[in-house]
Amino acid sequence: MYTKRSLLKGSLLLLLLMSSVLLSRSVESLPICPSGAVNCQVSLSDLFDRAVMLSHYIHSLSSEMFNEFDERYAQGRGFITKAINSCHTSSLSTPEDKEQAQQIHHEDLLNLVLRVLRSWNEPLYHLVTEVRSMQEAPDTILLKAMEIEEQNKRLLEGMEKIVGQVHPGDRENEVYSAWSGLPSLQMADEDTRLFAFYNLLHCLRRDSHKIDNYLKLLKCRLIHDSNC
Amino acid sequence: MKENVTSATAFLLLLFLHTHLLNGQSAPGKPKIEKCRSPEKETFTCWWKPGSDGGIPTNYTLFYRKEGESLTHECPDYKTGGPNSCYFNKRHTSIWMVYIIWVNATNQMGRSMSEPRYVDVTYIVEPDPPLNLTLEVKQPEDEKPYLWLKWSPPALVDVRSGWLTLQYELRLKPEKAAEWETHFAGQQTQFKIFSLYLGQKYLVEIRCKPDHGSWSQWSPESSILIPSDIKTKDTTVWIFVAVLSSVVCLIIVWTMALKGYSMITCLLPPVPGPKIKGFDTHLLEKGKSEELLSALGCQGFPPTSDCEDLLVEFLEVDDSEDQQLMPNHEKDHPSQSMKPTHLDPDSDSGRGSCDSPSLLSEKCEEPRVPPPTFTIPEISEKADDPGTKINHNWDPQSINLEGKIPYFNAIASKSSTWPIPQQSSNHTLRSSYHNIADICKVALGTMNVPAVSLKKEENHVLNYSTTIDAVGEKTTDKQNELEHFHSKADQDKTWLLPNEKMPFMSPRPMDYVEIHKVNKDGALSLLPKQKESNANTEQASTPDISKEYAKVSRVMDNNILVLMQDPKAQATVTFEESAKETPQPLQHNQAEKNLSYCTSPPGDCRLQTGGLDYLDPTCFMHSFK
Repeated sequence: MYTKRSLLKGSLLLLLLMSSVLLSRSVESLPICPSGAVNCQVSLSDLFDRAVMLSHYIHSLSSEMFNEFDERYAQGRGFITKAINSCHTSSLSTPEDKEQAQQIHHEDLLNLVLRVLRSWNEPLYHLVTEVRSMQEAPDTILLKAMEIEEQNKRLLEGMEKIVGQVHPGDRENEVYSAWSGLPSLQMADEDTRLFAFYNLLHCLRRDSHKIDNYLKLLKCRLIHDSNC
Repeated sequence: MKENVTSATAFLLLLFLHTHLLNGQSAPGKPKIEKCRSPEKETFTCWWKPGSDGGIPTNYTLFYRKEGESLTHECPDYKTGGPNSCYFNKRHTSIWMVYIIWVNATNQMGRSMSEPRYVDVTYIVEPDPPLNLTLEVKQPEDEKPYLWLKWSPPALVDVRSGWLTLQYELRLKPEKAAEWETHFAGQQTQFKIFSLYLGQKYLVEIRCKPDHGSWSQWSPESSILIPSDIKTKDTTVWIFVAVLSSVVCLIIVWTMALKGYSMITCLLPPVPGPKIKGFDTHLLEKGKSEELLSALGCQGFPPTSDCEDLLVEFLEVDDSEDQQLMPNHEKDHPSQSMKPTHLDPDSDSGRGSCDSPSLLSEKCEEPRVPPPTFTIPEISEKADDPGTKINHNWDPQSINLEGKIPYFNAIASKSSTWPIPQQSSNHTLRSSYHNIADICKVALGTMNVPAVSLKKEENHVLNYSTTIDAVGEKTTDKQNELEHFHSKADQDKTWLLPNEKMPFMSPRPMDYVEIHKVNKDGALSLLPKQKESNANTEQASTPDISKEYAKVSRVMDNNILVLMQDPKAQATVTFEESAKETPQPLQHNQAEKNLSYCTSPPGDCRLQTGGLDYLDPTCFMHSFK
């Protein structure tokens, strides 16, 4: 009799323990937070999906903007020959091929993404300002520039959230590459100014593609366990 | 001197040139790098197009320089990519870096260099077409069949790590169609096609595109034949449905054939003809005219009578002798040769002061109040023998409601009828008012015809009908009944308490008839109105009471009938109750005490005639209430 009771209690306790363990595991996939919730946590999967979506979008816009500018203003000027190794973010040591990207640790890669994104805050702001004042400024380029600036901020926020989830507490100082191309954008000489724009858009296209690629790698690695 | 030197030099050069041209050798032409392509963003290949080779073997070398580096490298692999190509393997490929590539063409005569080409591997990605495209026709149960396509990404592309994200697009067409049907499949590696033509051979191709690159080439064609024997199930279902519907139709047709008529009558009921309640159509078949006519409400048997005018529109007051009424009554009763079992053995039955307005004045002086005799048959156009018309089956004992109800209704709904004057023959019985007594008689005659037309006074009529037998004491009953009945039955008509005088029938429709006399047979002799000046005026005991018909203006004191002033008849006759016992029981016999009856005037009643010939029903009715 006594042993039966103890057995029953033990089984109940075990059951409670198991259920608690199982319940704790299921916390991972929480739904999207309603607005105003304090302790809400969006799942990492959703954060990455959103980030990848934004980075893909930003690169598409950058690529279109560059092609448009190139067709309109840069034909026959040989800008491409001069726009070599002129991006301000080249000082950031980013992986240059797939193997390097796969070897780098995901935390480092996330930090790198953050740095690149932060490096582009100021140039994008000035790009919008200067494109507006450009002679015969095409609306499409201006609109794209504005959209890229907006989405870049959102992507930065999302990335900071991801970093906060992936390795919270390891918050580095805000390192980024400074951009010093503003005077060139404001040059009176049309050729110089146009090259400055061309260079800026060229670098933007590249860096946005880098970010997009890194995030997709990270997503497949972290969320889908390298089995996309 | 100088001129000579110059010309000599030119001549030599031209000679040299000619020599060269004659030999066909020259420096190579400028090559051109045509295309650089990376299939997976890990390696890339560049192809160049040589210029003119100058007729002598030319050597092409490719050199490149990376962005941020100053070293110049030569192509690592000239073979893998085919002729005039340079293949850069993974080790030599860097992404997000601009390659500056050029080709040198060298031969014995010289060399030439192509334009440098700036290549960033990031933007030259063009994968191979997808592989392993499989087609299958799937046919799930209860669903439409579809074509299921499956494929796999190209071999070199690394999709699993996310280095490249591929999107697919497929196109298909029936073999002989002219245009392709294109579908975008996204990132999935399978697809379902639902809109298919059966029995056709379909051709399918597929291609892919990286997230920021160029579309691949279309894969080689795959073909599949869609079988045409799909959907046999549907055919079976349709056959079953057709058989079932045909069976149902046959059943319906058979049912219609068997019971067509009854069904038609059920669906389209025949329009009912006018029906007289209580009137048995079989009577027509049987030919019993008496019963028929009694059912119709006609007393006697003149074939020409239509017995329809039973309701009086107004009552006329006439001061003819009440004795005229009596013969009428007597006549009435024996005239019912059909039913010898007459209602009242008492000759006085049915008589009363309420018989007719024309009699009121006369009845006033007569203490005797013959109860009104409702000789409905009289009302009909039976001038000859009204009595015979009376075919009520007045069986006081038999109280059969059912049969009589319609009869009663018939009476009530009829227009005014007249008691037929016995002597005034050839009257068309289109009198405008009728005898309340007659009505009551009819009511009684039909015995417990509980005044269905009254609808609500059934009980009362019943009561009255039973009491109507007692002629002597219950004349007032009858009168009350009559009045009651009249008032309720037809409010459009004007009523007047029947006095003891029998109304006279006028020969014309809607005219008053003055009762001349009532013979012993109970027949009522009526005189036409125009004759009244001649006849029966002397019978009026009240000189001041003319034979003119008066109209009741109002009833007061429950017993007094106030008639309207007749323009002809100057005298007004007030019909009062002489407080005889006969009126009393009559009144008391009524179930409704609010009935203010002009009870049978024994004699000292005076008829007050108004000027009008018609009784205003409204004031009359109010008195009853």
